[in-house]
Amino acid sequence: MNFTNFDLDQLFSMGDDSNPLLMIVWILPIILFVFYGQQIQLFVTSREIKKGLKKLDNFREESRTELINYVKNNLKVKNDPVKKIDKFLEYFTIMPVDMDPNGIVDKVHHTVRSREDYTRSHVKSLSPEMNDIELNKIQTLLEIASSLQMIYKIVNHMFLTAKKQNNYPLILPLQMLLPFIMEQAEAMIEAIPAFKSDQPVGDGIGPMVVGKMMLEHEKETIAFQTSLSKIDFEDRKLFLLKAEGPASTVGRPADGLEKIMSENKIDAIIMIDAALKMEGEDSASIAQGFGAAIGGIGTERFQIEAVATTNNVPIFSIVVKQSVKEAITLMTEDIADTAEIVRLQLNEMILENTKSGQSVVIIGVGNTSGVPQ
Amino acid sequence: MIFSKKKITTEYTVEQCTKCGTLTKRKFNHGDVLFATLLKCASCDGHTRIEKIFGETVEQ
Repeated sequence: MNFTNFDLDQLFSMGDDSNPLLMIVWILPIILFVFYGQQIQLFVTSREIKKGLKKLDNFREESRTELINYVKNNLKVKNDPVKKIDKFLEYFTIMPVDMDPNGIVDKVHHTVRSREDYTRSHVKSLSPEMNDIELNKIQTLLEIASSLQMIYKIVNHMFLTAKKQNNYPLILPLQMLLPFIMEQAEAMIEAIPAFKSDQPVGDGIGPMVVGKMMLEHEKETIAFQTSLSKIDFEDRKLFLLKAEGPASTVGRPADGLEKIMSENKIDAIIMIDAALKMEGEDSASIAQGFGAAIGGIGTERFQIEAVATTNNVPIFSIVVKQSVKEAITLMTEDIADTAEIVRLQLNEMILENTKSGQSVVIIGVGNTSGVPQ
Repeated sequence: MIFSKKKITTEYTVEQCTKCGTLTKRKFNHGDVLFATLLKCASCDGHTRIEKIFGETVEQ
Protein backbone atom coordinates (compact mmCIF):
# COMPACT_ATOMS: atom_id res chain seq x y z
CA MET A 1 0.00 0.00 0.00
CA ASN A 2 1.12 3.50 -0.61
CA PHE A 3 0.96 5.68 2.48
CA THR A 4 2.91 8.59 1.03
CA ASN A 5 -0.15 10.36 -0.30
CA PHE A 6 -2.16 10.01 2.96
CA ASP A 7 -4.76 12.76 3.13
CA LEU A 8 -6.47 13.51 6.46
CA ASP A 9 -9.13 15.68 4.80
CA GLN A 10 -10.00 12.81 2.52
CA LEU A 11 -10.16 10.24 5.35
CA PHE A 12 -12.60 12.25 7.48
CA SER A 13 -14.11 14.02 4.50
CA MET A 14 -13.87 17.42 6.19
CA GLY A 15 -15.72 19.09 3.41
CA ASP A 16 -18.46 16.47 3.37
CA ASP A 17 -21.04 16.33 6.24
CA SER A 18 -22.42 12.97 5.24
CA ASN A 19 -19.36 10.87 6.22
CA PRO A 20 -20.61 8.36 8.90
CA LEU A 21 -17.12 8.00 10.49
CA LEU A 22 -16.96 11.75 11.17
CA MET A 23 -20.49 11.72 12.57
CA ILE A 24 -19.54 8.97 15.06
CA VAL A 25 -16.40 10.87 16.13
CA TRP A 26 -18.45 13.94 17.04
CA ILE A 27 -21.69 12.39 18.27
CA LEU A 28 -20.22 9.65 20.49
CA PRO A 29 -18.67 12.02 23.10
CA ILE A 30 -21.86 14.09 23.14
CA ILE A 31 -23.95 10.99 23.93
CA LEU A 32 -21.36 9.88 26.47
CA PHE A 33 -21.45 13.21 28.31
CA VAL A 34 -25.25 13.53 28.16
CA PHE A 35 -25.87 10.10 29.71
CA TYR A 36 -22.73 9.54 31.79
CA GLY A 37 -21.58 13.13 32.56
CA GLN A 38 -22.51 12.96 36.24
CA GLN A 39 -20.77 9.59 36.67
CA ILE A 40 -17.59 10.99 35.10
CA GLN A 41 -17.74 14.05 37.39
CA LEU A 42 -18.44 11.76 40.35
CA PHE A 43 -15.35 9.71 39.46
CA VAL A 44 -13.10 12.79 39.20
CA THR A 45 -14.47 14.37 42.42
CA SER A 46 -14.24 11.06 44.28
CA ARG A 47 -10.54 10.85 43.58
CA GLU A 48 -10.01 14.30 45.12
CA ILE A 49 -12.10 13.49 48.20
CA LYS A 50 -10.36 10.13 48.64
CA LYS A 51 -7.02 11.95 48.89
CA GLY A 52 -8.46 14.25 51.57
CA LEU A 53 -9.98 11.30 53.42
CA LYS A 54 -6.65 9.47 53.47
CA LYS A 55 -5.03 12.57 54.99
CA LEU A 56 -7.80 12.85 57.60
CA ASP A 57 -7.40 9.17 58.47
CA ASN A 58 -3.66 9.71 58.98
CA PHE A 59 -4.33 12.77 61.18
CA ARG A 60 -6.82 10.77 63.26
CA GLU A 61 -4.37 7.92 63.76
CA GLU A 62 -1.44 10.26 64.45
CA SER A 63 -3.32 12.24 67.12
CA ARG A 64 -4.46 9.01 68.82
CA THR A 65 -0.92 7.59 68.81
CA GLU A 66 0.55 10.85 70.16
CA LEU A 67 -1.98 10.83 73.00
CA ILE A 68 -1.38 7.18 73.90
CA ASN A 69 2.41 7.60 73.78
CA TYR A 70 2.24 10.74 75.91
CA VAL A 71 0.12 9.01 78.56
CA LYS A 72 2.34 5.90 78.56
CA ASN A 73 5.66 7.81 78.70
CA ASN A 74 4.80 10.67 81.05
CA LEU A 75 2.25 9.35 83.53
CA LYS A 76 2.37 6.55 86.03
CA VAL A 77 -0.46 4.45 84.61
CA LYS A 78 -1.47 1.30 86.44
CA ASN A 79 -3.17 -0.53 83.56
CA ASP A 80 -2.88 -0.33 79.79
CA PRO A 81 -4.54 3.03 78.93
CA VAL A 82 -5.32 2.19 75.26
CA LYS A 83 -8.79 0.74 75.91
CA LYS A 84 -9.82 3.66 78.09
CA ILE A 85 -8.48 6.25 75.63
CA ASP A 86 -10.32 4.58 72.75
CA LYS A 87 -13.50 4.72 74.83
CA PHE A 88 -12.95 8.46 75.49
CA LEU A 89 -12.48 9.08 71.77
CA GLU A 90 -15.94 7.68 71.05
CA TYR A 91 -17.73 9.94 73.56
CA PHE A 92 -20.47 12.05 72.07
CA THR A 93 -22.60 14.94 73.30
CA ILE A 94 -26.29 15.22 72.53
CA MET A 95 -27.27 18.87 72.48
CA PRO A 96 -30.62 19.78 74.13
CA VAL A 97 -33.80 20.03 72.07
CA ASP A 98 -34.29 23.58 70.75
CA MET A 99 -37.90 23.33 69.52
CA ASP A 100 -38.79 25.54 72.50
CA PRO A 101 -35.82 27.93 72.73
CA ASN A 102 -36.84 29.19 76.18
CA GLY A 103 -34.03 28.30 78.60
CA ILE A 104 -31.88 26.66 75.90
CA VAL A 105 -28.67 28.45 77.02
CA ASP A 106 -28.92 27.04 80.55
CA LYS A 107 -29.51 23.57 79.13
CA VAL A 108 -26.51 23.80 76.74
CA HIS A 109 -24.41 25.23 79.57
CA HIS A 110 -25.37 22.33 81.84
CA THR A 111 -24.67 19.70 79.15
CA VAL A 112 -21.26 21.14 78.26
CA ARG A 113 -20.20 21.57 81.91
CA SER A 114 -21.33 18.03 82.76
CA ARG A 115 -19.31 16.67 79.86
CA GLU A 116 -16.22 18.64 80.96
CA ASP A 117 -16.52 17.43 84.56
CA TYR A 118 -17.14 13.84 83.50
CA THR A 119 -14.15 13.82 81.12
CA ARG A 120 -11.91 15.42 83.75
CA SER A 121 -12.75 12.83 86.40
CA HIS A 122 -12.30 9.94 83.96
CA VAL A 123 -8.99 11.28 82.62
CA LYS A 124 -7.84 11.63 86.22
CA SER A 125 -8.66 7.95 86.77
CA LEU A 126 -5.91 7.05 84.24
CA SER A 127 -3.35 8.11 86.81
CA PRO A 128 -4.76 9.50 90.09
CA GLU A 129 -1.42 11.14 91.00
CA MET A 130 -1.31 13.41 87.93
CA ASN A 131 -1.27 17.16 88.65
CA ASP A 132 -3.69 19.73 87.22
CA ILE A 133 -1.29 20.89 84.47
CA GLU A 134 -0.92 17.33 83.15
CA LEU A 135 -4.66 16.74 83.50
CA ASN A 136 -5.49 19.80 81.40
CA LYS A 137 -2.88 18.82 78.84
CA ILE A 138 -4.34 15.32 78.44
CA GLN A 139 -7.83 16.80 78.19
CA THR A 140 -6.70 19.15 75.40
CA LEU A 141 -4.93 16.34 73.52
CA LEU A 142 -8.03 14.17 73.94
CA GLU A 143 -10.20 16.98 72.59
CA ILE A 144 -7.97 17.26 69.50
CA ALA A 145 -7.95 13.49 68.90
CA SER A 146 -11.72 13.12 69.33
CA SER A 147 -12.40 16.14 67.07
CA LEU A 148 -10.20 14.66 64.33
CA GLN A 149 -11.94 11.30 64.77
CA MET A 150 -15.35 12.96 64.41
CA ILE A 151 -14.29 14.98 61.33
CA TYR A 152 -13.02 11.80 59.62
CA LYS A 153 -16.21 9.90 60.43
CA ILE A 154 -18.52 12.65 59.11
CA VAL A 155 -16.55 13.21 55.87
CA ASN A 156 -16.28 9.46 55.30
CA HIS A 157 -20.03 9.01 55.89
CA MET A 158 -20.95 11.75 53.40
CA PHE A 159 -18.54 10.35 50.81
CA LEU A 160 -19.69 6.74 51.14
CA THR A 161 -23.37 7.74 51.02
CA ALA A 162 -22.84 9.68 47.78
CA LYS A 163 -20.89 6.76 46.29
CA LYS A 164 -23.47 4.20 47.40
CA GLN A 165 -26.32 6.17 45.82
CA ASN A 166 -24.11 7.05 42.82
CA ASN A 167 -25.35 10.58 43.42
CA TYR A 168 -23.19 13.43 42.13
CA PRO A 169 -25.16 16.36 43.63
CA LEU A 170 -24.82 14.72 47.06
CA ILE A 171 -21.03 14.83 46.85
CA LEU A 172 -20.91 18.50 45.74
CA PRO A 173 -21.30 20.12 49.20
CA LEU A 174 -18.52 17.88 50.48
CA GLN A 175 -16.23 18.90 47.61
CA MET A 176 -16.92 22.57 48.38
CA LEU A 177 -16.41 22.21 52.14
CA LEU A 178 -13.36 19.93 52.04
CA PRO A 179 -10.68 22.68 51.74
CA PHE A 180 -12.09 24.40 54.88
CA ILE A 181 -12.31 21.09 56.74
CA MET A 182 -8.72 20.24 55.78
CA GLU A 183 -7.51 23.66 57.00
CA GLN A 184 -9.10 23.05 60.41
CA ALA A 185 -7.79 19.47 60.61
CA GLU A 186 -4.24 20.49 59.62
CA ALA A 187 -4.31 23.25 62.27
CA MET A 188 -5.38 20.71 64.90
CA ILE A 189 -2.66 18.19 64.09
CA GLU A 190 -0.01 20.93 64.10
CA ALA A 191 -1.28 22.15 67.50
CA ILE A 192 -0.26 18.92 69.27
CA PRO A 193 3.50 19.71 69.75
CA ALA A 194 2.75 23.14 71.28
CA PHE A 195 0.27 21.76 73.81
CA LYS A 196 2.56 18.82 74.63
CA SER A 197 5.45 21.18 75.44
CA ASP A 198 3.32 23.73 77.39
CA GLN A 199 4.08 26.45 74.86
CA PRO A 200 1.89 29.52 74.34
CA VAL A 201 -0.44 29.41 71.32
CA GLY A 202 -1.77 32.36 69.28
CA ASP A 203 -5.05 32.28 71.21
CA GLY A 204 -3.05 32.96 74.38
CA ILE A 205 -2.34 36.61 73.50
CA GLY A 206 -5.17 37.89 75.78
CA PRO A 207 -3.97 35.91 78.84
CA MET A 208 -0.36 36.94 77.96
CA VAL A 209 -1.19 40.66 78.19
CA VAL A 210 -3.24 40.31 81.39
CA GLY A 211 -0.83 37.75 82.91
CA LYS A 212 2.06 40.20 82.62
CA MET A 213 0.00 42.89 84.38
CA MET A 214 -0.74 40.41 87.20
CA LEU A 215 2.94 39.62 87.86
CA GLU A 216 4.10 40.46 91.37
CA HIS A 217 0.55 41.11 92.56
CA GLU A 218 -1.53 39.00 94.88
CA LYS A 219 -3.69 36.41 93.09
CA GLU A 220 -6.81 34.56 94.15
CA THR A 221 -8.90 31.86 92.52
CA ILE A 222 -12.23 33.51 91.74
CA ALA A 223 -13.84 30.69 89.74
CA PHE A 224 -12.85 27.23 88.55
CA GLN A 225 -9.37 27.50 86.95
CA THR A 226 -9.72 31.30 86.86
CA SER A 227 -7.38 33.74 88.55
CA LEU A 228 -8.00 37.31 89.77
CA SER A 229 -5.67 40.15 90.76
CA LYS A 230 -6.66 43.61 91.93
CA ILE A 231 -4.33 46.46 91.00
CA ASP A 232 -4.44 50.26 90.95
CA PHE A 233 -3.86 52.24 87.77
CA GLU A 234 -4.09 56.03 87.40
CA ASP A 235 -6.52 56.36 90.35
CA ARG A 236 -8.70 53.54 88.98
CA LYS A 237 -9.20 50.06 90.40
CA LEU A 238 -8.51 47.24 87.92
CA PHE A 239 -9.80 43.68 88.38
CA LEU A 240 -7.57 41.48 86.20
CA LEU A 241 -9.07 38.15 85.22
CA LYS A 242 -7.54 35.27 83.27
CA ALA A 243 -7.49 31.47 83.20
CA GLU A 244 -5.01 29.90 85.62
CA GLY A 245 -1.82 29.29 83.67
CA PRO A 246 0.41 27.71 82.64
CA ALA A 247 -2.11 24.87 82.28
CA SER A 248 -3.93 24.49 78.97
CA THR A 249 -7.33 25.89 79.93
CA VAL A 250 -9.65 28.79 79.15
CA GLY A 251 -11.03 28.91 82.70
CA ARG A 252 -14.50 30.22 83.48
CA PRO A 253 -14.28 34.01 83.01
CA ALA A 254 -18.07 34.48 83.01
CA ASP A 255 -18.40 32.92 86.49
CA GLY A 256 -15.51 35.09 87.68
CA LEU A 257 -17.07 38.26 86.26
CA GLU A 258 -20.43 37.44 87.83
CA LYS A 259 -18.80 37.06 91.23
CA ILE A 260 -16.79 40.31 90.90
CA MET A 261 -19.89 42.25 89.85
CA SER A 262 -21.96 40.87 92.69
CA GLU A 263 -19.44 42.19 95.21
CA ASN A 264 -18.21 45.43 93.55
CA LYS A 265 -19.52 48.37 91.56
CA ILE A 266 -17.97 48.03 88.10
CA ASP A 267 -18.01 50.85 85.52
CA ALA A 268 -16.55 49.11 82.46
CA ILE A 269 -15.49 45.69 81.18
CA ILE A 270 -12.61 45.32 78.73
CA MET A 271 -11.96 41.99 77.02
CA ILE A 272 -8.74 41.08 75.17
CA ASP A 273 -8.92 38.10 72.84
CA ALA A 274 -7.62 36.59 69.62
CA ALA A 275 -10.02 36.89 66.67
CA LEU A 276 -10.15 35.09 63.35
CA LYS A 277 -8.83 37.31 60.58
CA MET A 278 -10.62 37.62 57.28
CA GLU A 279 -8.84 36.63 54.09
CA GLY A 280 -6.69 39.58 52.99
CA GLU A 281 -6.35 40.98 56.50
CA ASP A 282 -2.89 41.10 58.04
CA SER A 283 -2.05 38.58 60.69
CA ALA A 284 -1.33 40.11 64.13
CA SER A 285 -3.24 43.31 63.33
CA ILE A 286 -5.05 44.85 66.31
CA ALA A 287 -8.62 46.13 66.33
CA GLN A 288 -10.84 47.69 68.98
CA GLY A 289 -14.59 47.42 69.30
CA PHE A 290 -17.68 46.96 71.43
CA GLY A 291 -19.26 43.80 72.77
CA ALA A 292 -17.99 40.64 74.40
CA ALA A 293 -14.98 39.21 72.55
CA ILE A 294 -15.10 35.54 73.47
CA GLY A 295 -15.48 32.43 71.34
CA GLY A 296 -16.65 28.96 72.22
CA ILE A 297 -20.13 27.52 72.13
CA GLY A 298 -21.74 30.85 73.15
CA THR A 299 -22.82 30.18 76.73
CA GLU A 300 -19.93 32.15 78.29
CA ARG A 301 -20.66 35.13 76.01
CA PHE A 302 -24.35 34.95 76.91
CA GLN A 303 -23.52 34.97 80.62
CA ILE A 304 -21.13 37.94 80.26
CA GLU A 305 -23.65 39.92 78.17
CA ALA A 306 -26.42 39.15 80.66
CA VAL A 307 -24.46 40.32 83.69
CA ALA A 308 -23.28 43.47 81.84
CA THR A 309 -26.83 44.30 80.73
CA THR A 310 -28.29 43.78 84.22
CA ASN A 311 -25.69 46.14 85.71
CA ASN A 312 -25.77 48.55 82.74
CA VAL A 313 -21.99 48.28 82.20
CA PRO A 314 -20.42 48.80 78.73
CA ILE A 315 -18.18 46.08 77.28
CA PHE A 316 -15.15 47.11 75.19
CA SER A 317 -12.89 44.74 73.30
CA ILE A 318 -9.40 44.60 71.86
CA VAL A 319 -8.68 41.75 69.46
CA VAL A 320 -5.53 40.47 67.76
CA LYS A 321 -6.38 39.04 64.34
CA GLN A 322 -4.96 35.66 63.31
CA SER A 323 -5.78 32.58 61.22
CA VAL A 324 -7.27 29.33 62.59
CA LYS A 325 -3.86 27.71 62.40
CA GLU A 326 -2.08 30.57 64.16
CA ALA A 327 -4.69 30.57 66.93
CA ILE A 328 -4.04 26.99 68.04
CA THR A 329 -0.38 26.45 67.11
CA LEU A 330 2.79 27.86 68.71
CA MET A 331 2.54 31.66 68.89
CA THR A 332 4.27 33.48 66.03
CA GLU A 333 6.76 36.29 66.67
CA ASP A 334 4.40 38.84 65.10
CA ILE A 335 1.60 37.92 67.49
CA ALA A 336 3.95 37.86 70.52
CA ASP A 337 5.19 41.33 69.55
CA THR A 338 1.65 42.76 69.73
CA ALA A 339 1.50 42.15 73.52
CA GLU A 340 3.18 45.47 74.34
CA ILE A 341 1.09 47.43 71.79
CA VAL A 342 -2.13 45.89 73.15
CA ARG A 343 -1.09 46.89 76.67
CA LEU A 344 -0.58 50.51 75.59
CA GLN A 345 -3.95 50.52 73.79
CA LEU A 346 -5.57 49.02 76.90
CA ASN A 347 -4.17 51.82 79.08
CA GLU A 348 -5.53 54.40 76.63
CA MET A 349 -8.91 52.68 76.54
CA ILE A 350 -9.14 52.69 80.35
CA LEU A 351 -8.31 56.41 80.55
CA GLU A 352 -10.67 57.37 77.70
CA ASN A 353 -13.68 55.43 78.97
CA THR A 354 -13.52 55.73 82.75
CA LYS A 355 -13.15 58.53 85.27
CA SER A 356 -10.89 58.79 88.27
CA GLY A 357 -12.07 56.53 91.13
CA GLN A 358 -13.96 54.11 88.90
CA SER A 359 -13.44 50.34 88.60
CA VAL A 360 -12.77 48.25 85.49
CA VAL A 361 -12.71 44.49 84.91
CA ILE A 362 -10.10 43.41 82.36
CA ILE A 363 -10.45 39.87 81.02
CA GLY A 364 -7.67 38.10 79.11
CA VAL A 365 -9.69 35.59 77.09
CA GLY A 366 -8.13 32.50 75.54
CA ASN A 367 -6.14 29.35 76.15
CA THR A 368 -3.51 30.04 78.76
CA SER A 369 -1.16 27.16 77.87
CA GLY A 370 2.38 28.22 78.82
CA VAL A 371 1.16 31.60 80.13
CA PRO A 372 1.32 31.93 83.93
CA GLN A 373 0.34 35.02 85.92
CA MET B 1 2.51 17.50 46.38
CA ILE B 2 5.56 17.41 44.12
CA PHE B 3 6.32 21.13 44.33
CA SER B 4 5.28 21.84 47.93
CA LYS B 5 8.14 22.61 50.28
CA LYS B 6 8.55 21.09 53.71
CA LYS B 7 7.92 23.58 56.52
CA ILE B 8 10.05 23.43 59.65
CA THR B 9 9.20 25.39 62.79
CA THR B 10 11.98 26.33 65.20
CA GLU B 11 10.97 27.34 68.71
CA TYR B 12 12.67 30.31 70.36
CA THR B 13 12.67 31.89 73.81
CA VAL B 14 13.46 35.57 74.32
CA GLU B 15 14.79 36.61 77.73
CA GLN B 16 14.95 40.20 78.92
CA CYS B 17 16.95 41.58 81.81
CA THR B 18 14.58 43.26 84.29
CA LYS B 19 17.30 45.81 85.14
CA CYS B 20 19.17 46.78 81.96
CA GLY B 21 16.59 45.55 79.42
CA THR B 22 19.08 43.47 77.38
CA LEU B 23 17.27 41.00 75.12
CA THR B 24 18.66 37.51 74.48
CA LYS B 25 17.18 35.16 71.90
CA ARG B 26 17.89 31.44 72.25
CA LYS B 27 16.40 28.07 71.29
CA PHE B 28 13.43 26.97 73.42
CA ASN B 29 14.26 24.57 76.25
CA HIS B 30 11.73 22.13 77.62
CA GLY B 31 10.24 23.69 80.77
CA ASP B 32 10.44 27.32 79.61
CA VAL B 33 7.29 29.26 80.48
CA LEU B 34 6.51 32.92 79.95
CA PHE B 35 7.52 35.38 82.71
CA ALA B 36 9.73 32.82 84.47
CA THR B 37 12.70 34.47 86.20
CA LEU B 38 15.94 32.84 85.14
CA LEU B 39 19.66 33.28 85.68
CA LYS B 40 21.67 36.44 86.22
CA CYS B 41 22.02 38.83 83.30
CA ALA B 42 25.32 38.62 81.39
CA SER B 43 25.69 42.43 81.22
CA CYS B 44 24.65 43.51 84.74
CA ASP B 45 23.71 42.08 88.13
CA GLY B 46 19.99 41.93 87.29
CA HIS B 47 17.92 38.83 86.52
CA THR B 48 16.46 37.81 83.20
CA ARG B 49 12.78 37.02 82.62
CA ILE B 50 11.21 35.15 79.71
CA GLU B 51 9.34 37.74 77.67
CA LYS B 52 8.39 35.78 74.56
CA ILE B 53 8.18 32.18 73.36
CA PHE B 54 7.46 31.85 69.67
CA GLY B 55 7.96 29.75 66.56
CA GLU B 56 9.66 30.70 63.31
CA THR B 57 8.63 28.67 60.28
CA VAL B 58 10.97 28.25 57.32
CA GLU B 59 10.32 26.41 54.07
CA GLN B 60 12.91 23.88 52.93
